[in-house]
Amino acid sequence: MKQTWKQTAIIVFLLLFALQTWMTYQQYKGSGLSRVPESRHGAGGFISSAHASVGNPSPVGSLKPVQVSGENLPMYRTTDELRLYPAVEKGLRTPFDLWRYYGKGKTTFGTPVLPMRFDQWIEFHQKQKPELMKDVRAYMNSRFNFSGAVIPGQMMSGGRKAVMAGPVARLPAEVESYESLAGLTAEEIRRRDLFPYKPLAHPIQTTAHMLFPDSWTAVHPEHKRIDVDMDFPDAYLPEFPPPLFLTTHKELGDISGGQEISFDNYYEIFDGLITPEQMEGLKELLRPSPTTWFNQTQHRLTSQPSDGVACLDCHVNGHTNGAIELGPDSRPNMARLRVDTPTLRGNFNLMQLSSKRSIRSLDHFAEIEEYFDGDPGMQQAIGPRAVKREVSNRMADFNAIIDYPPAPKLSPMMRLIPSMATEQELRGEKLFHGKAQCSACHYGPAFVDDYMHDLKVERFYVGRPEGPIKTFPLRGIRDSPPYLHDGRAPTLHDAVEFFNLVLELQLSRSEKDDLVAFLLCL
Amino acid sequence: MARMPFLNIDRAGIERWSRDVFRLLVGFMYFQFGLLKFFPDLSPAEMIAEYTLGQLSGFALETRTALTLLATLECAIGVGLMTCLFPRLIFFLLNFHIIGTFMPLFLLPEFCFKFFPFAPTFEGQYIIKNLPLFAAAWILIFPIAFPLREEDNQAVSPGND
Repeated sequence: MKQTWKQTAIIVFLLLFALQTWMTYQQYKGSGLSRVPESRHGAGGFISSAHASVGNPSPVGSLKPVQVSGENLPMYRTTDELRLYPAVEKGLRTPFDLWRYYGKGKTTFGTPVLPMRFDQWIEFHQKQKPELMKDVRAYMNSRFNFSGAVIPGQMMSGGRKAVMAGPVARLPAEVESYESLAGLTAEEIRRRDLFPYKPLAHPIQTTAHMLFPDSWTAVHPEHKRIDVDMDFPDAYLPEFPPPLFLTTHKELGDISGGQEISFDNYYEIFDGLITPEQMEGLKELLRPSPTTWFNQTQHRLTSQPSDGVACLDCHVNGHTNGAIELGPDSRPNMARLRVDTPTLRGNFNLMQLSSKRSIRSLDHFAEIEEYFDGDPGMQQAIGPRAVKREVSNRMADFNAIIDYPPAPKLSPMMRLIPSMATEQELRGEKLFHGKAQCSACHYGPAFVDDYMHDLKVERFYVGRPEGPIKTFPLRGIRDSPPYLHDGRAPTLHDAVEFFNLVLELQLSRSEKDDLVAFLLCL
Repeated sequence: MARMPFLNIDRAGIERWSRDVFRLLVGFMYFQFGLLKFFPDLSPAEMIAEYTLGQLSGFALETRTALTLLATLECAIGVGLMTCLFPRLIFFLLNFHIIGTFMPLFLLPEFCFKFFPFAPTFEGQYIIKNLPLFAAAWILIFPIAFPLREEDNQAVSPGND
């Protein structure tokens, strides 16, 4: 009896202690020490809704909670459905489905300090990398069927690489076809977890940074990383090296002559063709600068010290080699979106640059391009970028003459010339400007509206909303796989399937093929 | 009955009392450290525990789920030690748990040692300190889980062989 009383007393004490800990935790959340954002809403099942604030203006901080219902669930997310980012340190691997996570970072600011000695750092990655890459390949294989199928007769502009056929995104076993999937509502696709175009994360987001394709590291072993390799097969990336076309010398076609433009050959190739200012700009675009993880310090991901990375290492020949990075616009690093390297072709026509930063000029773009992952504080330790404004202006001067590849089937008004186009391409063009609604955002000389749009893709899966992202130009699009900002649509067919689902277009199989045929003409 | 001459207190009583307090404190430590793991970002062992559990499960187990399981295990051990409920089960869980706590030393040596094996990091020390805790828990729970029986007394008594 006495023993039972003691046990009861102990259990009551522990329950009270647990309750007190929970109460302390509520205070801790959202404090400067915590990576858990403060809960600004009531109990689970309620959200602070923008919907409520728009409909019923109310002072900041007094937003009314709105009951989640079948009606508003597809439109408004709550962090209740997300997981908190795991506690990680530099070098540790991160979940491949990071888009399902949320949370704060310890701090906005980075540090050039490794969590261990450099020789341990190397040893750690030697152990981790094989296992990580095995899992990366398995994950990518679960997402995509990289069959290697090509679109017959369709090559990229340099004529060295075939355009890949798709769609290659795998459908869940219970879905018969993309057409049957498109017949479901967004809510049902989300509830049954059927969406094949969820975001892609960087394979290791604690280090993240520039990850070069195999075709690049084969000739630039200085960019081979000790922690991770590219997760996309080369066949599904842009041709390397890509051709370079100049707005000022259309008569010469591909200026590069099939070479990778480098510090060694740029002068010979461009002397007498471009202005002194453009030449200086090109030189700067080719000059390596130390970066967060490619540099001469021990805060690096190469076994040997590195000179760094040049602009045209990712934007090779003014285009892209398919290298990836993280968008530098957000913190913590795990919240940053994976971004493919965009082409520089046609930048002269863009009023907005970068996927989420809304950079308004080429000069600004050249000036702030994120060699330090958007963290200027790291420059003190890793090395000065120190691009002065007149130099960044000249980088922009060269950037401004990089042209799209020729599109012989397009008229000056960017419509197909009927005598040069096939029936299928013409049907695709009609869809593009009609039922498929592409031209609502993709119009003008570069097929881009220069706006950022929020496609609200999170209606289709449980994940963190990605918010507005800039429309990408469609001129020369065949040369720039994979598609969307993070490459989740590896082929043009996948991009069409993505928009067919997200915009609920109900396109037939043949209509989608027609649309791809048209896109190949741009 | 042995008595401490200067305090005139029951020595056996103090030993028994000390043992009970010791058991309550060790149990409470297990409970509290386990409890912290239920709350994201509250336990200082979160990263090392999550990553170790991730590695052990081939990164198949979601980290939060894994940590919740570990938290449940530690709290159960703590409650068991404090209340003496289900002592054999607690003894089994204790041994299972201790093997797990030492895994980071082998799976993440770079995070546990500045120089292996004589210079542990803060995380390394945190793990190594489990060793005396484990020994203490053994001393405290083993006699309760497996109390000496009459025949055992006979087996160990002098001259029995």
